[in-house]
Parts: sequence; structure tokens; C-alpha cells
Amino acid sequence: MTATAAEPAVDARGLVKVFERGRRTFWQRLRGEPDRRERFHAVDGIDLRVERGEIFGLLGPNGAGKTTTMKMLATLLIPTSGTISVLGIDVLARPRDVRARLGAMLSGERSLYWKLTARENLEYFAALYHVPPRQTRARIDDALTSVKLLDRADDYVERYSTGMRQRLALARALLPDPPLVILDEPTVGLDPQAARDLRARVRELRSQGRTVLLTTHYMEEADQLCDRVAIIDHGRIVALDTPGALKRTIRAEEVVRLEIGLADDGAAVLERLGRSATVARSERHNGTLAVTAHCASARDFVPAAFDAARSAGATIQHVEVVPVTLEDVFISLTGRALRE
Amino acid sequence: MSLLAADARAFVAAARKELRMWRRYPLFILGLLFWPIVLPATWVLMGQAYSGGGDARALAAFAERAGTTEFAGFVFVGYAMYMWLSNLLWGPGTALRQEQIRGSLEAVFLTPTSRLVALFAPPISHLPFSLLNFVTMGLTLWLVFGIVLPLGPVLEAMVVIAIGIPSMYAIGSLFAASVLRFGETGPIVQLVRGTFVLACGITFPLVMLPGWAQAGAALLPPTYIVADIRTVLFRGVGLGGIAIDLVLLLAFAGLITLLAVWVFRILETSARRRGTLGSY
Ligand SMILES: Nc1ncnc2c1ncn2[C@@H]1O[C@H](COP(=O)(O)OP(=O)(O)OP(=O)(O)O)[C@@H](O)[C@H]1O
Ligand SMILES: [Mg+2]
Repeated sequence: MTATAAEPAVDARGLVKVFERGRRTFWQRLRGEPDRRERFHAVDGIDLRVERGEIFGLLGPNGAGKTTTMKMLATLLIPTSGTISVLGIDVLARPRDVRARLGAMLSGERSLYWKLTARENLEYFAALYHVPPRQTRARIDDALTSVKLLDRADDYVERYSTGMRQRLALARALLPDPPLVILDEPTVGLDPQAARDLRARVRELRSQGRTVLLTTHYMEEADQLCDRVAIIDHGRIVALDTPGALKRTIRAEEVVRLEIGLADDGAAVLERLGRSATVARSERHNGTLAVTAHCASARDFVPAAFDAARSAGATIQHVEVVPVTLEDVFISLTGRALRE
Repeated sequence: MSLLAADARAFVAAARKELRMWRRYPLFILGLLFWPIVLPATWVLMGQAYSGGGDARALAAFAERAGTTEFAGFVFVGYAMYMWLSNLLWGPGTALRQEQIRGSLEAVFLTPTSRLVALFAPPISHLPFSLLNFVTMGLTLWLVFGIVLPLGPVLEAMVVIAIGIPSMYAIGSLFAASVLRFGETGPIVQLVRGTFVLACGITFPLVMLPGWAQAGAALLPPTYIVADIRTVLFRGVGLGGIAIDLVLLLAFAGLITLLAVWVFRILETSARRRGTLGSY
């Protein structure tokens, strides 16, 4: 019954979630009209294996299916098909056992009671997590300590900052002393300082021996925080590896971003740029062409780019040389930027 | 610790959380003291005016239909029922709905506690307020209208209330469960509450209703509670005389509870399929 350490923290196979879009009115049902609702695959066949003790990230743009996946792991959503085992427990067969061992932070600060103090919030949830009464006090203090809120424990949550509320939501997820913590966009809406702080807390979870599965659409976050990253788009995993290995899949040492002022549609200049680098992406905003190019050496490519622009009758307005990021990996896989 | 004991503790914690939230709205207590006095008092004054200031023949006519000449007491008992019902229809449904909108319902559903805790705990937390209502009304009857309720019948009335509690809270839970699906509480509450006011004889004796409406009223637990409280308080009938009603009330409580659990189960599974647990 009990999960052995050899079992992965999460093992999902062939996971699919289909939602229906649009609605079918009572009248349409009554008259037996055909069902015109669109069936939409929010998650479209995901296989996922998260090992014990790692920080695993799901990176993807808006609507990729990250939240839907997390909710299926957390028993809030029933998958259309596929199997999930969390800490060796079948989620569909024994949802209550999964809930007792899983720390989940899905909707963050909104899901707290703002009219109660942090401690009162946690007392309530500790009872719901079936924490034995004699351990409750210590468990709450531990959770508050690990998110650095112990000194504000008796303040009303409505007087907290967004970052503090987010940390309190994380503290709540720690109440069952979970071996696995899942976090849906833990740093969304936080200022850089608060986000850095929360990431530090997440690293501490790993050093306490817990497994962390998180979603994000910040590529820096995935890069800095995660041991392994799955890039997810349109409900499918398009790449899965360590951040370093993912970045090495791009056959380029450097990434050059250009802004080119031009009069025509830019086809000529793009063609010429393509001779000395891989144009990963180009986008036109009235009169300016933004280009992302992958190249072996910026030192060689940048002068070539100026020549290419001049001979096509265009002018380069801005040049930026940046290291390869997971964003570039995403672009090279999907042809789109993460955030658009 | 067994699962049941753990769920029981969760239940207590949930009711306690509700009460702690009320604590943040101290003015709400003022309303709790104000309405139970003002509303029934206006009806009593109206009754006094219509009866020519307590004319003997008018009182006899009332007694013929209501079984007592204590019309102030009659109205107050009716209103106590009304306030109790209103609290139960508004409170738990609204509480559950707010949790759903805010997203805390999802957080509750992430825990291993039985879902029934979320369903049944909010109504129970309203118990102290209902008791406060009853006490205020009793005091008003005494201080304003000079009606002193004798201790024996008051204790008997409390037994009736205690036996009525499960069925009343089952109604509150059933209502809360359906709110999860239909969202908007306002219009449904008005409709249900209006029906109860009319059918359960809040300000008038039931015999004033047409026959079919009386038959309908016989299916609503508050009808029995309000009638039985009046019977023990004002007609000198003991609990033995209303035993059948009390058994019926317990049966109602069981039935409505099962219905509430069933509705809630169906709605929860459907929400887990359609992903609407945290939406509105
Ligand atoms: N309950 C639902 N009913 C219908 N469609 C839904 C439902 N929940 C999500 N979707 C759709 O499924 C898709 C994936 O949504 P999901 O919330 O999983 O994306 P996400 O990757 O978390 O995006 P974001 O970065 O915006 O949070 C979206 O197109 C969304 O509109
Ligand atoms: Mg999301």
C-alpha cells in the first residue's frame, strides 16, 4: 500500500481532457437538435513522469493546458482518459488518499479567507487536512516559518501584500507535510523581489526532500528553478529535458535580436539574413521588422546583417545580442513566442 | 484517529470559521436585534387595530381559527420561524457560493475531508443567531406586550425546536447544494421564502388558506414546527398531543438530508467533469 521511494512522485500516461465549448439550450435538447458544441482538447495526450526530489516545471503559454493538468493531478478534475498515479496512488481510484498526501497551491491568494488571520486560516485547513489536534500548533508554526510569516501570523489576511498572501497559500499547501507539492503559477502577479523570495522558498522545499511540480509561463523561472522542464503547447508536451539540454537543442551559440526600419514587406532583407543565420522569428509592426536570429557567432553575423540591410534598402535601428533562453527553444519548436 | 473523528473535527472547525468571519461584522448583530422586534410588532399592532383594539368578539373569532386568543404570541412565534428560515435560506447558500466565487471552495476540495462538511457546516454555524432571535422575541413579548410565557410550555417549545432543527438545517443544506449549480441566490430565495411565508402560516392561521394550499403546506416541515410551538405555548397541549408531528419532522429531516447529499454528489461530480468547481 505505502509508496516506496522507487516509485515516481507523478506518473501520468495518455492524459486527455476534453471540454465542451458553447452551450446547448434546453430547447435544442427538447427538439432533439444535433449537438453543436465544439469538443476541445485542453490536454491532448500527456505522458509525464516526475521523479522524487526534483523540481519539475511545466512551461507553456496561456491556454496551453497547464492548469488543467494540475487540476487533474489534484483530483479537482476527472480526466476524459488516461491514468495518473501520484506517490504511487491511483488518483481516480483513491482520490481521498491522494488529497491527504498532496500539497497543492492552485488558485493562490484568492482562495484564502481575507477576514481571518493567517493562523485562523491555517487552523481551519489543518482540521480539513486531518492534522491530529496535538500536532496542529507545531505544524502551523512550521508551515508559517518555512514561508517566513510567523511574525505576522495574527494579522488579518486582508492587510497582507499580494506576495504575503501567495506565501500563506503555500504554507497552507504544506500543512499535510506533503512529499509532493504542486504549484500552479506560484509567482504570477508578484513583483520581482517577492517572486525571487518565493522561488527561494520553493528551493527550500526541495532541500527538505520534497518533490515540487510547478507551472509557469516565465522562462527565466523555469530555467533558474527547475531541474527538468516540460515545454507544453496546445495540450501536448513538445520537449522535455533539463534546461541546459533544452537550450543545447538549438544549434546556435548566440541569439541576435534586430529591429529593422524598412519600406517594403521585408522579404528581401529576410532572405539575405537567412544566408548567415537561422531566422527563428520575424514580426512586422508598421515600418519596423523585429527579427530573432540564431547564429554561431554574433561577431560574424552582426556585420553581415548590416550589409544585408543596406543592400535591401533597409536600416538596422537596434541590435541586441543575448544568450540562448528557453524562450528561444519554445520559438524554435512552435514558431511562436511564449507570451503573445 | 479514525476518519470519522477527523471529519467531525473538520466539521467543528468549519462552523467555527464561519462564526469567526461573522465576528468581523459587528453591526450585523444590531440587525439581528432590530428586525425580530420591529417586524412582528407592526403586525401585532395592525391586528389590534383591525380587531377594534382587542374587542372580545373579534378575539373570539380569531380564537375559533387559531385556537388561542394570544394573537401577539401567535404572530411572534410565526416570525421567529420566518427569521430562522430566512437565515437558513440566505446564509449557507450564500456562504457556499462566495467560497465558490472566491476560489476557496477549490482549496477545500483539495483536502481529504468529506465534501459533506462544506455542505452541512455553514448552516450549523447559524444556530447561535437563531437562538438569539428566539430570546429577543421572547423578551419583546414580555417587555412590550406583557405576555409572560410560563416555563413548562417554554421548555416544551424548546423540545419542539430541538426536534425541528435537523429538518430546518436539511432545508438549508439542500438549498445550498442547488445554489452551487444555479449560482444566483436572490430570486430563488425570494420565491422559496415567499412560499413558506404563505404556506406555513407565519402571520395567520392555516385554515385561512384554500384546501389545496393547506395540503401543500402539510409537506413543509416549518408548518409543523410553527403550529406545534403555538400549540404547546398557547393551548396548554403537552408534547404527547403532538407526538405524531414530531415523528413526521424527524422523517422529513432524514428525507431532506438524503436529498441534499444526493443533489450535492451529482453536482460535485458534474463540476469535476466540466471544470466548473471554481467558476461562476
Ligand atoms: N472548465 C473549462 N471549460 C471549458 N474550457 C476550459 C475549462 N478550463 C479550461 N478550459 C480551456 O482549456 C484550455 C487550457 O486551459 P488551462 O487553464 O489549462 O491553460 P493554462 O496553460 O493554465 O493557461 P494560463 O497560462 O492562462 O493559466 C484553455 O483554452 C481554456 O479556455
Ligand atoms: Mg493556468
